[in-house]
Amino acid sequence: MTGETDTIVHIDNVTKRFGSVVAVDRLDMRIMAGEFVTFLGPSGCGKSTTLRMLGGFETPDEGRIVLDGVDVTRKPPNRRDVNMVFQDYALFPHMTVGQNIAFGLELKGEPRDEIDRRMGELLDFLQLSGFRDRSPDQLSGGQRQRVALARALAPDPKLLLLDEPLGALDAKLRGQVQIELKDIQKRTGKTFFFVTHDQEEALTMSDRVVVMNAGRVEQAGTPEDLYFRPESRFVAEFIGETNLIEGTVRGIDKDTIAIDWNGTDVRGVAHGHQPCEGDTVTASLRLENVMCHPRKPARMNAIEGRIVSKLFKGSRTSLDIRIGGHQNTVIHAYMDAGNAAQVADDRLWISWEPERLTVLRD
Amino acid sequence: MTRHTRIVMSVVYWAFVIYLFVPLALMVTMGFKDSKFIGFPIRAWTFDWYATVMQDTQVLAVFGYSMAIAVSTTVLSLIIGTWMATFLGPNMFRGKAIVFALACLPAVIPGIISAIALRIFARLIDIEPGMLAIILGHTVHNVPFVALVVMARLSTQPKSHIEAARDLGADSIVAFFRVTLPYLKPALIGAGIFCMLLSFDDFVRAFFLGGYQPTLPVLIFAKLRSGMSPEINAISTIVLIMTAILGLWAERSMRRLNKGS
Amino acid sequence: MAHAESDTADLGKASAPGGRMNFWGALLQNGAYQTLSNTLFKTQRRQFVMLASLPLLWIVFANLGPIVEMFWIGFLDSYPPKVGYEPKLTFANWAAFFQDRVFIVPFFRTLAFSLIFTVITLLITYPVAYFLAKHVKRKNQLLFLLLLLIPFWVGEIVRTYAIMILLGNNGAVNLVLKSLGLIDRPIPFMYTGFSLGVGIIYLTALYMLLPLYSALEKIPDNYLEAAADLGAGAWTRFRRITLPLSKEGIASGCTLVFLISTGYYATPVLLGGPRSTVFAETIAGFFHVAGDQWPMGAAFSSIMLIATLAATGIFLKLMGRGGKGMIR
Repeated sequence: MTGETDTIVHIDNVTKRFGSVVAVDRLDMRIMAGEFVTFLGPSGCGKSTTLRMLGGFETPDEGRIVLDGVDVTRKPPNRRDVNMVFQDYALFPHMTVGQNIAFGLELKGEPRDEIDRRMGELLDFLQLSGFRDRSPDQLSGGQRQRVALARALAPDPKLLLLDEPLGALDAKLRGQVQIELKDIQKRTGKTFFFVTHDQEEALTMSDRVVVMNAGRVEQAGTPEDLYFRPESRFVAEFIGETNLIEGTVRGIDKDTIAIDWNGTDVRGVAHGHQPCEGDTVTASLRLENVMCHPRKPARMNAIEGRIVSKLFKGSRTSLDIRIGGHQNTVIHAYMDAGNAAQVADDRLWISWEPERLTVLRD
Repeated sequence: MTRHTRIVMSVVYWAFVIYLFVPLALMVTMGFKDSKFIGFPIRAWTFDWYATVMQDTQVLAVFGYSMAIAVSTTVLSLIIGTWMATFLGPNMFRGKAIVFALACLPAVIPGIISAIALRIFARLIDIEPGMLAIILGHTVHNVPFVALVVMARLSTQPKSHIEAARDLGADSIVAFFRVTLPYLKPALIGAGIFCMLLSFDDFVRAFFLGGYQPTLPVLIFAKLRSGMSPEINAISTIVLIMTAILGLWAERSMRRLNKGS
Repeated sequence: MAHAESDTADLGKASAPGGRMNFWGALLQNGAYQTLSNTLFKTQRRQFVMLASLPLLWIVFANLGPIVEMFWIGFLDSYPPKVGYEPKLTFANWAAFFQDRVFIVPFFRTLAFSLIFTVITLLITYPVAYFLAKHVKRKNQLLFLLLLLIPFWVGEIVRTYAIMILLGNNGAVNLVLKSLGLIDRPIPFMYTGFSLGVGIIYLTALYMLLPLYSALEKIPDNYLEAAADLGAGAWTRFRRITLPLSKEGIASGCTLVFLISTGYYATPVLLGGPRSTVFAETIAGFFHVAGDQWPMGAAFSSIMLIATLAATGIFLKLMGRGGKGMIR
């Protein structure tokens, strides 16, 4: 399924520098046809530079960009079948919605009838039928975003770039638009290259998420992979909330890794790498994977602690649990609100499944 | 601020308005005086001076000549000034401050010196004194104003507009004509009318660069040197009304700059 | 000029049976145009060079050319060229300036007049600009400003003529004074430094007013409120807050008014007299009076250009800012 024929874009060992800053460092990535791939990372991580190199607005210093088998590394934006939805939408203020959408088709030299036919389709498809002769400044944020999408889809690009297109929308609308966008991508079957710093957006919509940091790929995988099986400390901390545990690898058997956590023996797993005995490692434990017990449970990874704060958050309760003894750290955990009420005493036991404690690469 | 200073301030403002308008009002009034002698008091009124002006073929010819110069100057200034602005506005390069200062130079050089320098230069490049020389002189003077107005507008255009046009298949030239130019429209209208006024009103360059055919300000100057006459008031009043209308129109277009999306 | 309307203009050739191509589409699909576009904009660098070409040529040709040529002619002993005579290099034109009171007096008079007019213009327009920026409601400011702008669209000659009518022996001022019984015979305002000053200030006030207004308008009101809160009186507030913060406007305004007022020619001719001859008239004499003496005129113009630019340069240095962005 992932044969060479399905690759629509090959980012081939690309490096881009701005002065002495390496914005993108030897990035090598294949994007499959029809895929919704999201580049996620903090600002300055190189995700936008990657997008701009795909669009033709920046030229790589090293490496190639191959679009559908053709090297487009040095082609200007107007000579590649890639279109973009801009962060501020960049709708032309002196043109109507219809003129905006027709723009790319006109420049491709499409005849008027074909332009009208295609525009009709797109307006219908994106529920913009009544807005053809409106000016962009008469539209709401969500409508503008759809017009920008229609304009970018009109010339039938091989790859659609989306540069944080939800950033300008208010939080309430954003959730709805996320679903719409994913739906549009599925129905058109287009390849979407989406860039964002918002982890929730990335997890909700993407087939595959690429987490970038300081110009390099930290980890690429499905949203579930990234959330539950982070490979690096950066990914574990950037996506969701987590507890970090530091210790020394004591032994490795076929399923789990034994770690000495300041004298307590705990068990975890590692993904995408294999630590060696004696290594000092950091491991990640998601809040919702911490189980709480009133008495000492008969399981692995059982540790006694004391609740130092308990915050009621509606459907669940957030706990800060101080682990006594040598660890002297606070573990954060969630409990169902009902169960939390049963923890009468402020002393309790925590535990976790070994596959939930992920040893991270440093 | 106390009430006292507020009153003083407003008195100063209105006194200043009076200072600006009274001379012009007097000049207009004098154009209706039924006597060849300029001066107060006015005992009889007439429209004859306007009739005289309207029938004066020389004045009409000069008017047309000035207009032709103003229009040509405006077109040239807009093209060169806009090009200058698209070069100086978004681009960063070494020595930009110097290039910018040199680009603005003609706007701040004292008028007489600019006129003399251009007179000598016209001789060097073999342009006879006359229409062409005046158009050159006015264009040199006006380009910095156009460039500054267009640069101000250009700086408010999101960079993504041009990128979007490029992304959708336009090369640099098409992107400029289809996206940037329409965005600049209010600035260009404003700057264009300003150029018309500067050119139409200019005396010193037209005087030194002109040939036998005078422009309107040069004609009025010549008439004034041979003696004041209500006919001059009539001509001046017509010019005044025209410039005021043009100016108000320019002002309205420029106002849209601030409101523009 | 081409605008968005052209996308309905259908300038393109009929293509497929289903309608015509848009003009810009047809242009971009045209092979010859594609080749041209590809060669012109092949690299960022080439595109930059294309963009820079005309402006740089224009600056060198139109902005610098005349000035350089003027300096050069100032060193020749004869110009325009005469048949059979090879002009020689000389310093005589420059030296002549320093040897005759007829030249030196108008020169320094021009600088002194311009300086005085600039200061008076500043004193007159500062309260006006302050009133506009701080006392007029924001939504009315443009209207009040427009009222002041209208007279300035009228040309130099027409406005000079208006001042002649105002100040003449049978002018409005003398008429009013006479009817009030203050004078028996008209005061000869005209053809003096006074009439010239009234005229020049009338012409240049706007160039002071606009920079002052935009500088004052930028000062937030709460600065003054904060100062008042700390116990500053009206005068202290003005001296310590408003004046320093409007310094940039003062510098730009004074520079503009000074430079512009040294350059007037028609106004001194019409409003001035024999005792207020300015250097512009001296220079013009070399070009218009019979027996053209262009080299001397060129040298004198160069001297004046150097002097005015040097004066403004020193002034701006004293005001503590570079010389950029002086207009508007």
